[in-house]
Amino acid sequence: MSAARDLEQQAAHWLVARDQPDWSADDARALAAWLSDSVAHKAAFWRLEAGWHAADRLAATRGPSTFRTPRRWAPSPIWGIAAALVIACMAALALSQFVPLGGDVPTIRVATAVGARRQVALADGSAVTVNTASTMRASFAAGERRVWLDRGEAYFEVAHDRRHPFVVFAGGRKVTVLGTKFSVRRDGDTVTVAVAEGRVRVEDADPATAERAAIITAGDVAIARGHAMLLADRSEQQVQDALAWRRGVLTFDQVTLEQAAHEFNRYNHRQIRLGDAQAARLRIGGSFEATNIDAFTRLLHDAFGLRIAHDRDGVTIKS
Amino acid sequence: MTDDAATKRWFTQEVLPLERDLVRFIARHCRDGADIADVRQEVYERALTGARADALRSTRAYLFTIARHVLIDRARRAKIVSFEQIADIDTVDWDHDAFAQDRHMTARDELRRAMLGLEQLPPRCREVVRLRKVEGLSIRETADRMGVSHHTIERQLTLGLRALANFMLGGEGRISRPRARSTAAREAER
Repeated sequence: MSAARDLEQQAAHWLVARDQPDWSADDARALAAWLSDSVAHKAAFWRLEAGWHAADRLAATRGPSTFRTPRRWAPSPIWGIAAALVIACMAALALSQFVPLGGDVPTIRVATAVGARRQVALADGSAVTVNTASTMRASFAAGERRVWLDRGEAYFEVAHDRRHPFVVFAGGRKVTVLGTKFSVRRDGDTVTVAVAEGRVRVEDADPATAERAAIITAGDVAIARGHAMLLADRSEQQVQDALAWRRGVLTFDQVTLEQAAHEFNRYNHRQIRLGDAQAARLRIGGSFEATNIDAFTRLLHDAFGLRIAHDRDGVTIKS
Repeated sequence: MTDDAATKRWFTQEVLPLERDLVRFIARHCRDGADIADVRQEVYERALTGARADALRSTRAYLFTIARHVLIDRARRAKIVSFEQIADIDTVDWDHDAFAQDRHMTARDELRRAMLGLEQLPPRCREVVRLRKVEGLSIRETADRMGVSHHTIERQLTLGLRALANFMLGGEGRISRPRARSTAAREAER
């Protein structure tokens, strides 16, 4: 590494430490001493500090949930209840971060609410994006890499490590990989595995029937229910579309309105219902924001002339 | 340097906005790309050492004169000295926009650039920086939230801070690992 990059690294350490709550007066004196050591230290530190502060405006990008207009908070007691629930959920989530599972195996547990999405970095360098209404646990004891998808859907970007296979258990299925990108989704006892990159092995979690394994590669989708498994050969673009939820987007390619409604309903408390069979069979395509039902239904009204009836807990679509 | 605060103010407000042009100037006369950061650092050190904020007429001219001297010194120190290289440096091409408009970014430019810089970071690093910059979480809180060690968050934040700060100053904003990362990467692949 060049001398300048080395200095930059030292300056970055100071800047990171100075932002922490445990920064003390002694630390401040140490930094002042380091700065007065040489003009090189000053140049590196002032420069990095200025660049880092220039990015402070990012704070303005905080999610809209934290910028809710006070008007909506004030009169209704329901917001108080909602806030209490949110706090309770957050506390539960915080408590459940490190739940020992059978002995002292450290386990990470991630649970998401309806419409939420979370990215988690795992200890082995892999990354997981957990989709709406999902629960996932991960254990990395003794060099093992094991994940349980208890509910919902997750997308995995697995760090390559040939000696330690990465195993996902979902609804009686076991998905084994060495290093790849793929998603696993559970709808009751149906497990869908879609591969974006590399190869994965899908098999029964029950060792008695585990010889019925399938190796699937990029662009493949495996749909398993009970002991049956369907392999579908999709294009890589179709797999990418199916993974658009990672950006909060649902992408449909000529699916029925019934299927589209089912997808939306995974992300929202307000549900979309179909009033008649004719509307349910209508085929649609396009990309939509997963949590914006109104934009979707307005489009259905404008494009297809469907009638949209709003009620207390959702909308009903009729032809 | 008598007054640190004044020097710092001059450095951040007058010198750093010129960094993009300065680096471009250095890059044009630097054969080895890896040297650019070192030359830039040396220019800043000399600029700060000689800085008398009140006596300076043009920060731009001052900075590029220093840069020229640093580059010439380096070329002389090199084993093989190319005459054109030094002659080249002397063709003073830095003042073609000596009266260039104010280089300071507006608030909107700054936010846009910051978002772009954040977007360019690798996913995990980006999340760590986002939690710091946007949500204001400490390392401890980030480590708890992401379920990884304090040490990992600290390392990612340090890398992300450097990449984002460099990007804000007009650089490319790439991650620059402190140690030979490729060794670890190779080990992981074995």
